[in-house]
Amino acid sequence: MNSEKYLRNSVQKGFIFSIVMIFMMMIGFHVVAANLTSKLFGVQVLRGSIPEVVFMAYVHLFFAFIFGWGASDKNRPSKQRVAQGLVTSVTTAAIISLFSLLLVFLVEAQLDIREYLTAFSADYMRYFVLNLGRPGIITLFGIYTVTGLVGTVTALFVQSDRVQQAWNRAKTSVTLFWENANSKMPAWAQKYGKYVIYGGSIIVLLILPVRWGSYLNFVTSVVGLYIIAGIGLNIMVGLSGQLMLGYAAFIAMGAYSMALLNAPTPHGIMLGFWPSLLVGVVMAMIAALILGLPIMRLRGDYLAIVTLGFGEIIRILLRSDLLVDFTGGPRGIHAIQGPTLFGRPFNSSSDFVYLIFFFIALSILIYQRLANSRTGRAWLAINEDSIAAQATGVNLRGYKLLALIIGAAFAGLVGGIAASRNAFTGPNDHSLMVSINVLSLLIVGGMNSIPGIFLGAFALRGLPEILREVETYRQLAFGVLLIVMMLVRPKGLWPSSRPIMENIDKAKVKKAKEKVKKTKRKSKDG
Amino acid sequence: MKVKYFVVFLLVFVLALSACTPEAETPVEEPPAVEEPVAEEPADDPCAQDAWGCAVIQPGQTIKIGMSSPMTGPYADFGIDAQNSGLIGVADAGDVEGFAFELVAEDDEGGAEGGAAVANKLVADQTFVALAGPLFSGATAAAMPIYEAAGIPMMSPSATAGFLTQEGSQVFNRLPFVDPIQGAAAAEFMFNTLGVRNIAVLHDGEDYGRGLATIVRDEFTELGGTVTAFEGITPGEADYTPILSTIATQSPEVVYFGGYNQEGAVITNQMKAVGLEDAVFFGCDGTWGADYLSQTGDNAEGSIHANTRAPEESETKAAFDEAYLAAYGVGPVVLSPFSYNSYDAVTILTNAVKAVAFLGEDGNLYIPRGALVAEVRGTTGYVGIGSYSCDAIGECNTEGPAFETVVNGEWVVLD
Amino acid sequence: MKVLKKNDRRLKRSSVGKMIRNLFGVLAVLFIIWRLYLVFIVQNNYGPETWTRLLIAGLVIGSVYALIAIGYTLVYGILFMINFAHGEVMMLGSFAGFFVFEATNAINITAADGSVTSLTNAQPVLSIILAFLVGMTFSAMVGFFLEKIAYRPLRKAPRLIPLISAIGASFALQNAALLLFSPQTRNYTNPEFLARGAGWRIMINETAVILPYTGVLTMVLSILLMVGLLLMVKRTRLGKSMRAVAMDKDTAALMGIDVNQTISNTFIISGALAGAAGVMWGLHNGILHYFVGFLPGIKAFTAAVLGGIGNVPGAMLGGMVLGLLEAIGPAALDISFQLKDVIAFVIMIVILVFKPSGILGEVLSEEKV
Repeated sequence: MNSEKYLRNSVQKGFIFSIVMIFMMMIGFHVVAANLTSKLFGVQVLRGSIPEVVFMAYVHLFFAFIFGWGASDKNRPSKQRVAQGLVTSVTTAAIISLFSLLLVFLVEAQLDIREYLTAFSADYMRYFVLNLGRPGIITLFGIYTVTGLVGTVTALFVQSDRVQQAWNRAKTSVTLFWENANSKMPAWAQKYGKYVIYGGSIIVLLILPVRWGSYLNFVTSVVGLYIIAGIGLNIMVGLSGQLMLGYAAFIAMGAYSMALLNAPTPHGIMLGFWPSLLVGVVMAMIAALILGLPIMRLRGDYLAIVTLGFGEIIRILLRSDLLVDFTGGPRGIHAIQGPTLFGRPFNSSSDFVYLIFFFIALSILIYQRLANSRTGRAWLAINEDSIAAQATGVNLRGYKLLALIIGAAFAGLVGGIAASRNAFTGPNDHSLMVSINVLSLLIVGGMNSIPGIFLGAFALRGLPEILREVETYRQLAFGVLLIVMMLVRPKGLWPSSRPIMENIDKAKVKKAKEKVKKTKRKSKDG
Repeated sequence: MKVKYFVVFLLVFVLALSACTPEAETPVEEPPAVEEPVAEEPADDPCAQDAWGCAVIQPGQTIKIGMSSPMTGPYADFGIDAQNSGLIGVADAGDVEGFAFELVAEDDEGGAEGGAAVANKLVADQTFVALAGPLFSGATAAAMPIYEAAGIPMMSPSATAGFLTQEGSQVFNRLPFVDPIQGAAAAEFMFNTLGVRNIAVLHDGEDYGRGLATIVRDEFTELGGTVTAFEGITPGEADYTPILSTIATQSPEVVYFGGYNQEGAVITNQMKAVGLEDAVFFGCDGTWGADYLSQTGDNAEGSIHANTRAPEESETKAAFDEAYLAAYGVGPVVLSPFSYNSYDAVTILTNAVKAVAFLGEDGNLYIPRGALVAEVRGTTGYVGIGSYSCDAIGECNTEGPAFETVVNGEWVVLD
Repeated sequence: MKVLKKNDRRLKRSSVGKMIRNLFGVLAVLFIIWRLYLVFIVQNNYGPETWTRLLIAGLVIGSVYALIAIGYTLVYGILFMINFAHGEVMMLGSFAGFFVFEATNAINITAADGSVTSLTNAQPVLSIILAFLVGMTFSAMVGFFLEKIAYRPLRKAPRLIPLISAIGASFALQNAALLLFSPQTRNYTNPEFLARGAGWRIMINETAVILPYTGVLTMVLSILLMVGLLLMVKRTRLGKSMRAVAMDKDTAALMGIDVNQTISNTFIISGALAGAAGVMWGLHNGILHYFVGFLPGIKAFTAAVLGGIGNVPGAMLGGMVLGLLEAIGPAALDISFQLKDVIAFVIMIVILVFKPSGILGEVLSEEKV
């Protein structure tokens, strides 16, 4: 009964693996992989637009190995694991062979089905079976069975106790070495080392923008803006627990305030960067107040859908015929002026990076002050249990509204800077996708955690920016990445440490740590 | 403790970033490299005289033609089509002194932020010399200053917003009709040639469609006709019967639509069902194309669309059609109406590169950027799939459109 | 004393909130009455034939929304999560149906009298049933695997986590369709007797109003499916177990209900309904591409919340109301059609402000919200 079950699972796994492989073929994965390999490593693996046969073979081998690796359950005896590996590999191989049989048939019949499935060019299909025609099918079967088994056996070996022990030993020796080195450092280095690192990193951050060219400055400022937006949204979602799907509307408020007040068209008010930025922030706060007043009764997903609706309303209004003379309609507003500092223009790409660094620091400061204040604790209380919070005298509606307004202020800031930085803003810059992106980076990074927000912004905005090479595949990878991150690290990349801090007194922790250190030294001396 | 790790991580990320794009540093270092030889070399060196200096292509490198278009999101079909066409254009261009062209297509999501990102990324590459794009006006507006600063000539296949050429940009050129010319021609055609007096004007609420529709409305009213309705629709939907029903109550003779063929086809199909059987669907160059025909079938009969005045069925066009079909399994002008424009844009750029590039004594290929910008702007009498001559502000299609109608499922030129 | 005073103040403040809300509501109602008065009494531009046309369009689009909204509501009722990828499931079902029609079109059948027709036209009913079956099965499969891969491991996680996973799934499915099928816009080839635009002609005010066959098919089928679903939820064992799991998973498990299986079944059912909606969408509107699921997905989600999420009849009502609002709203209030989504969202916000758990939603317990 039991043995049957684990083998049945293996067959299922084989099905899934082969479907993954077939799907990758159907979306032309090999071509993109070859493209990327060519670009990143400078190895020419493309012939025309199709990867070379050798490259295809490597891809097959690689995935067969990975499939074999993942075929067996870690906690089963090794005999069963080998059996599992065999079953999975054979199933995978069989299904992929069947699929390649279909491909060979399509090639031989010279059927062009690219109208329906774009990736199926004749060359690609031929190269998938390694340009061998019918014998290629058997070759693929062999590759997937044998390499899969090799993968299983390798996994067995690597995950065996002995290797794991060796690995652990290596790890501990590295940490020991690190600690040793740390404790042997002179006292001043131990005491001020932190500040040295801080100072060094600040200097690096100050020098880098002028050194690394406009593109990396651009990426940095996009990531930076998303960090500020993430901090703002965190006040709404993370601290006070209100799910907001219309954050882009507040960003639009800031961006359009900047655009309308600081661009030659359509109104030509030319108020200057700093006053416009301030107006943008205030406008976003007013919008939050107007939205927040009637809907404070709503909770959870009802609030989410109302804010989503609000975001869409703002976007549609911005581009509608109704407001076209006021907002520039779908065409957007261009030639938005950059900031000036002490009467001098401050609008090169590196200047904007400095500006954004400054505002990130400011946002973190404000956020930390807020989160650790009475207000922050009230928000957390509402988030944890709103009825209990109300019972202890927290003004539920007032604090929720406050969170909304402060979060919106950050959005106004982001919008203003972004509009000025791009020298353009239009309704399509404030779509639902922006709201979703900010929310995603918050949750992927880890809620209520500043480093988490940094990581999330790098992962969700920085990486796709650098991966522009892979064009269409970018968004697919993004989607899969979101799912995988949630499965692997549901608490985020860098979860908040708040609950621990709340439970244990900080001073006590410090004392305990020192005690441990002392005993360690003593034992070493002894 | 954690903060320390975090700082370390930040530094590592920063280093990784700088490692990822090795070319990123070149633009910073480049200006002095260009300025230095000024003193030593003779004055007739084109690179020294050039305001933006030269692109230096070393043996083994390719001449990069960029493309900036939406390749994900709701308008991905436009971007992918432009890339497909551009690849054929680059393949047809052959090489210059043994240096091959390469198309670098990047996804700008059609918006300003993406357009600026792509621009920043592309100009960081020293071997990138010209841009076929951006496709959308929003991306163009945000990206133009960046290309201007780097001396990259742009040739957009489809960005139609009027202001783009009005602000003295040296590098920006475009192939599509300018909205005012097409709009005026369409209004004139409806009023005089068709002799209608009542029209309804629809647009898709996007920059291109709305701009065009506004001009048609204004011009038509000026001619003395009546515009019974001027309405925007929500793009991407599949049911426009409600708005068509309300328009039908004023029984216009023509329904003008500014927008793209996806919505245009839906409107054409649904006009028959809501009491607009007798009204003529009047589209623009955004609705023209094979895809419109395949989606509307018999309903397309008698509808009128604008199209580039093109040499009819030239050899270039036939060869392009064939190459496109062979390479992608579907014909051109199916994914978007701008296949031909994209091809022509790339070809004009490669021609210009061929005209100004010269082989240096060190075996490198030199492309003076300023000369290239001037060469693209000075395009006259180019005949590819369409025929184009650029004027002083970068409008390459000032002839005005030809109007075509559908007879038995074929495009027939009216006039 | 002091405490009492404080409480007094708080009472007052909440009544201020109520006043603002009421003012907001009265203003909204007054605005609507004023616009209705303008349109129906002062201008009176549109005759009954136009209103009938708008009504038909609203009912058809509403019934599609309703079908999709049920999927949201079923999943929400059990897992309390927004299945953001549901619109994409519908899109994939629509593609499956499209391929069935392409296949049946490609097969030519020579009739007894020697005339050649495609299978679609020779056996129209059969090919339609086949398209629905394939579309529904495929979408059900997608829903099933979606739950298994992206949602099941996160069942114990905080509520935002599965939401992000669902957003990721939505991205992935949409772009997978883009890469698989290319961004090209496809057209459903309907059987001849179901041609788009053809229909019964009703004479109103001496004008022919067309009641399209595809629209009627859409409405009738979706009503049948909805009634079937209601009966299933009320009467069958499966429905009972679904309701039990929705109430309390742990207790349901103690009562011998296979919770995992029930949740899988829920996803299969909601996927199948979305698939049916997708094929109807294709038959009625004809247009199909990778992005087609996004807008209806958002709209149906709105509809589900409007009706009271977690409540099946609520989702139906919400869908219908949203469809009618979109079709009739702009004309009835004399507002540009460009702003139809604005009208729909504003009315939704107004309704939610006064009934915070939707039209038919019960007041949910703290735990559920």
